[in-house]
Amino acid sequence: MIPRNVVIPAVLLLALATGMSLYLWQLRRREASSARPARVAAQHVIPPVSGPTEKVTVFVVYDTPGELRTQSISIPLFSDRQRRAEELLRGLLNIYAEKNSPHPLAPGAEVREVYLVSPDLAVIDVSSALVDGHTSGILAEELTVVSLIQTLTRNIPGIMRVKILADGKERETLAGHADLSSFYDVSQVSQVAQQLAQH
Amino acid sequence: MLWIKGGRVRSWLSCAAGGLACSLILVAQVATPPAQPQTTPNPTPNQQSVPSTTAAPMRLQFIMIDPAHGGSESGAILNPAVLEKDVNLAFARRLRQELSSRGIQAQLLRDGDVLLTTDQRASMVNSARPALYIGIHAASQGRGMGIYTAMLSDDPGAGDRGPFLNWRTAQSATLPRSRATQQQLAEAIQKTGFPVRAVGAPLRPLSNIVVPALAIEIAPTTGDTSQLASPDYQQMVSAVLANAIATIRTRLGNAP
Repeated sequence: MIPRNVVIPAVLLLALATGMSLYLWQLRRREASSARPARVAAQHVIPPVSGPTEKVTVFVVYDTPGELRTQSISIPLFSDRQRRAEELLRGLLNIYAEKNSPHPLAPGAEVREVYLVSPDLAVIDVSSALVDGHTSGILAEELTVVSLIQTLTRNIPGIMRVKILADGKERETLAGHADLSSFYDVSQVSQVAQQLAQH
Repeated sequence: MLWIKGGRVRSWLSCAAGGLACSLILVAQVATPPAQPQTTPNPTPNQQSVPSTTAAPMRLQFIMIDPAHGGSESGAILNPAVLEKDVNLAFARRLRQELSSRGIQAQLLRDGDVLLTTDQRASMVNSARPALYIGIHAASQGRGMGIYTAMLSDDPGAGDRGPFLNWRTAQSATLPRSRATQQQLAEAIQKTGFPVRAVGAPLRPLSNIVVPALAIEIAPTTGDTSQLASPDYQQMVSAVLANAIATIRTRLGNAP
């Protein structure tokens, strides 16, 4: 016969272990159900083709003859400022990804995020593929930088300064020339855009 | 990094704070004629790249030519056999020769395959105080010659603190003179029929230099990048640029 002073603690321990197992199982279930929507949110949402769109003006680089031209494109309509900023730049990069691109970029070149840090400050985070595979040269790099900043700031009013990152990290230059270590002053970029358009 | 305004005799104090290179350049105002730098602000592996100390008598006609990139930093790969750093150096040497034949003294910031950071380049130029700084670049894109000034506000004093210039915008106070020189050169080159454009660019070390500063990017006229490595093309472009500089030589070093 097992003594009572052994049976009672053993039963209590067994009950405790069963209870903890059940609690752990519940926690894992809850965690799994809450993680599912987050994963969906992290994926790129493909804009609805039949959804509402708006017309915007983008500044497109033409490598030959090395100038900036304006072009009207349609992008999905978003009331959210940040989302709209990202769609603007993705629309621009879609032009550069076309078969007869006027300014071919490296495979994998994309705009990852646009952060509107404050009403007058924007941060454009591009993929490192865009930077690593970019043509090197003052003009080639400057055209890309001005194209991105002009497209963003002409359609999202109020932005005065822009910073460009690659995969969330600061780079010294785009491809050895255009300085990415500083913030770009939008008024100066506009002046240069005019010079590049007039050529 | 800060640069003091109107400096004559210079000494350097460098410090590192929080992993960021931060150099404070102190300049004492004295009445004596400008002395040559007694030390190199950022020692380089090749002493040929340090500006000569014999430039003082010809200060107004002294032009600093800076072949961009060098060493492990090759710049653009123009084609598998042609690197931008080598083309830049070849152009720079020819330009120095062409200027010299027109009575204009010029020095190369690097006269060998050495690596200099943009901060080192700017420090060396700011110490030597040439009448004009010209950074030489070569690229496959574009046509002919691009003449660039720093993409900065020309508001003197923007970002400065007291007598110290903000290193990132040190060119601002001199930008009107740089732009005037840019326009004069572009007009002189246009008259020859050689393709040229004048634009601002977000380019270092242009923005860190306190004297009139330009970057020249040379591109082929035919679309064929091998033209950049051609001695004939290099000679022709160097002569065109040297002629243009010669036409504005009297205005170098003066306010526009």
